Amino acid sequence: MKFEDTSQNLRARLRAIQLLVVLMLSVLGIRLYLLQVVNGQRYAEIAQNQRIRLLPIPAPRGIIFDRDGHSLVDSRPIYNVILSREDVKGRELNNLVEPLSQGLAIDAELLRERFEEIKSQPAFESILVKQDASPGDIAWVEARRLEFPELRVEQQPQRRYPPNGLLAHVLGYVGEISPEQLKQASYKDKGLKPGDIIGQSGLEQIYDDYLRGRDGYRKVIVDSRGRIQDEIETIPPQPGQDLITTIDLDLQLAAEEQLRTSVTKRGVIISMDPNNGEILALASFPSFDPNLFSQRIGTKEGHAEYVALLNDPETPLLNRAVQSRYMPGSTWKIPMAVAGLQQGAITVDHSNLVCGGGITIGNKFTRCMGNHGTPDIKTAITRSCDGYFYRLGLKMGIDGIVAMVDEFDLNRRSGIDLPNEVVNWTPSREFKKRMQPSSPEWKDIDTVYASFGQVYDVITPISLLRTVMGIGVGGRLYIPHLFREVRPVSASGPFEYRRARTFQDLDSSRPNPKVVPIPEVIHHTVVEGMWGVVNNGGTGASIKMAGFDIAGKTGTAQVVGLGKDVGKNKDHSWFVSYAPAYKPEIALLALIENSGFGSLHAAPAVRRVYDVYYRKTRNEEPPGALPIAKTPKAAPKEVKKAGSEELAKN
Amino acid sequence: MVAILQKRTLRDFDWVLAFLAIVIVCFGTIQIRHALPTEGYWVKQLIGLAIAMAVMLAVALTDYRRLLNIAPLFYVFGLVLLVMVLIPGIGLKINGQRAWIKIPGGIGQFQPSEFVKVTTAMMLARYFGKHRLQMLTWKETAIGGLILALPLVLILKEPDVGSVLTYFPILLVILFLSAIRIRLVVAGIVLGLVMLPFAYWVGVKTNLVKGYQQERINVILDPEKADRRGFGYNTWQSILTVGEGGLFGAQASTEYSQSSLKFLPEPHTDFIFAVTAGNAGFIGCIMVLLAYAILLSRMITGARRAPDRMGMLVIMGIVGGLTFQIFINIGMALGILPVIGVPLPLMSAGLASLIATFIAIGFAISVQLRRFVN
Repeated sequence: MKFEDTSQNLRARLRAIQLLVVLMLSVLGIRLYLLQVVNGQRYAEIAQNQRIRLLPIPAPRGIIFDRDGHSLVDSRPIYNVILSREDVKGRELNNLVEPLSQGLAIDAELLRERFEEIKSQPAFESILVKQDASPGDIAWVEARRLEFPELRVEQQPQRRYPPNGLLAHVLGYVGEISPEQLKQASYKDKGLKPGDIIGQSGLEQIYDDYLRGRDGYRKVIVDSRGRIQDEIETIPPQPGQDLITTIDLDLQLAAEEQLRTSVTKRGVIISMDPNNGEILALASFPSFDPNLFSQRIGTKEGHAEYVALLNDPETPLLNRAVQSRYMPGSTWKIPMAVAGLQQGAITVDHSNLVCGGGITIGNKFTRCMGNHGTPDIKTAITRSCDGYFYRLGLKMGIDGIVAMVDEFDLNRRSGIDLPNEVVNWTPSREFKKRMQPSSPEWKDIDTVYASFGQVYDVITPISLLRTVMGIGVGGRLYIPHLFREVRPVSASGPFEYRRARTFQDLDSSRPNPKVVPIPEVIHHTVVEGMWGVVNNGGTGASIKMAGFDIAGKTGTAQVVGLGKDVGKNKDHSWFVSYAPAYKPEIALLALIENSGFGSLHAAPAVRRVYDVYYRKTRNEEPPGALPIAKTPKAAPKEVKKAGSEELAKN
Repeated sequence: MVAILQKRTLRDFDWVLAFLAIVIVCFGTIQIRHALPTEGYWVKQLIGLAIAMAVMLAVALTDYRRLLNIAPLFYVFGLVLLVMVLIPGIGLKINGQRAWIKIPGGIGQFQPSEFVKVTTAMMLARYFGKHRLQMLTWKETAIGGLILALPLVLILKEPDVGSVLTYFPILLVILFLSAIRIRLVVAGIVLGLVMLPFAYWVGVKTNLVKGYQQERINVILDPEKADRRGFGYNTWQSILTVGEGGLFGAQASTEYSQSSLKFLPEPHTDFIFAVTAGNAGFIGCIMVLLAYAILLSRMITGARRAPDRMGMLVIMGIVGGLTFQIFINIGMALGILPVIGVPLPLMSAGLASLIATFIAIGFAISVQLRRFVN
């Protein structure tokens, strides 16, 4: 450096610069080491995850059939417009409200609300923008691929339930898994995630594990805006298992028709096979449209509809057959008669007791509806003599009644495969204590009440039918059920073969049937009484069918005190039965709420369902068919037309 | 005479420097192709390299003193280009910046601010290159500042803050080597270290530093927590790309790389180093850093051997500019510096940057060639 001047120490300054250069490059080198060598693995994973996306392919649920192969519920593919979570993370969703609501004809407020809602939910997969999009909507989305690459059209199977609320309480409905359910281990352990559709009621809920398919997915590579670049692999979904129920659609339609045309349009009709507990029909009225839950619940109108259902004083969502308790009235006399004979309070040969037109306990007179002299047990059943059963109850005592309740499982759930079955209220000293703390002692008058199906006897229709038909078949109490079998589904991809199952394969800790030892002579005596109700001038004589002997019992459940039982507060009308009396094939129960005497309303309703059964099994007109109030055949035709596909015989 | 010159030229020509520069460009071109395989940037870069090599040779074989003597001419020419770029018909507006002049014939565009770096360095070297007997005066410093300020004002009009930043080191290095008092340097460094956080704090409080600028700083301080979809996005994606490279380079195919799926923005220019890191891994990156270190050391060695102050200053000014630019660009790719649109010398796609850097290297070679003359 020829121009160098030591005073300016140029050489040192040059060296300083050189040092600085090396220093700066070293800093970069160290940083590189940290990023690539120390944390490289982690960053590589993040980088890969952001370009690989799993797009779920929702699996269709299994179809639900009736016992003859009519499809009751199926799924149809619909298209949803969605926003993928990955692609909208951190973006201002509100900017999308305006163009989306206009382009897809969605209420802007509703969309904004949904976006707000979703923000508070950390684990959402995608945001539903529009359900059941029309071809026009799909075309709109496709045409705006560049403008809104985060929009996607996704196929989803949607559950379709039969029209007119048919079988609503039996089938139940599906719905999105709720945040509360997601917190529960029973759901989490099944690998369910937000947005999954599961059975939320009825058979859909109870047999969700069979019906629910296994979702497949597409593993795709996306670019930074979420546009799919390539597909790495596709795992097709495995559909759910088809469920064949014990329901007989013809009987079910007839049963619903009876309730629909009943006086109050409120009530229950259940039909079972007394030889195995298979439920042939189960109708509860008023009903509701399960499609509300599977299709419309996400819309404003749908939600309003749901709120209206919840607030409806007639409680249409309630399955009255298993979730409501009623006083059984005189139908209670059937198990009472069996137990009285079993316990020796009376005997088959000496069963006569005084009617007396009623009974006086202390200073209180409890009347009988007539004066039956000194009837035997058969006559007491046939004529429904209250006086007789007051005295029988007193002979058995409360302990005898409790033993009867226990013997016929009346203090337990029937075990039906429907959710939220309630337990009966049955007479006991503890029950009195709880019900009347001011007068906790069990008295004779209480025994009188408990012996003819009032006050202390408050039971579900399903448990009553189970008891009576169990007595009809000689003391075999079957567990009522709707499950007949599920069909197998073959293995596919990572999903295993799912084997067929029959009802016998299902675990049940309860003996089925529960056997109640009823000596043949007692059985015969009680059945004769029940046979007489219809066939020997009893309280149900109006529904007599020659050659098809119905054994049954009418019942009238007091809703309010005597004398006030008019109009809205009329008594509930019961009829519980099976037929033929000595070779049971079918059991039928009807309860018409607030309609009055059992013989007047419930019995004819049952008879009309028997008519349908008779036509179906005997291939001929039932003898002495009742005039048909509203052609029962009209309804099935209408249903079949409305959804010819879904109800087509399979 | 010519023969002797030829022989000496061949002997003294800094082949290592020239070769290193060309190798880096070639390596960079491969990375550009990796980044955007479907687009023709890599071809343009090769054409640029050919032009740049020719220009470098021309500069190297010309006596730098003759060039520096007419430095004011180049300087004014540079200013004219910077004015021209601001005229809407001539200047091309890309991403809101009017920083390019369109070259007819479909070759592309040309960024004058890159080229003006060299003319400014030349002008500064010429002004400060007189024989020096005493310490730097305030007047000299002020004039130096003015020489720098003229092009900067024009570049700010584009506006291109990133480019402006890369000009300052040129002046700072030349002042440092022009006998500025050491205590001033020390005072400057101390004041800078103290004032920077304070100024930032004041800036945030008074809202002079805008929200997105704060975000870009925050993402440096804590990239994991920063808003990865917003302003932290570029930095975060760059870190991911670099990290994915690991020790030996990413295994993902080019088709589905960070850059081709458009996760990494500007992969062929601002973030070319991230692409390189992703492809070549830690080993490759260290090689690149080493190549830059040798290149810059060679130039500094050349400056030390320069026959006069002017030659030394022009090389060192350029070294200052290059070093700073390399540090800013790679630092940005590695997430330790905020995102500023500055190309990586010799590697980023861009004609002007490439040619300007080769002119600078040409100067260094030219100075070295004449170390025994006189």
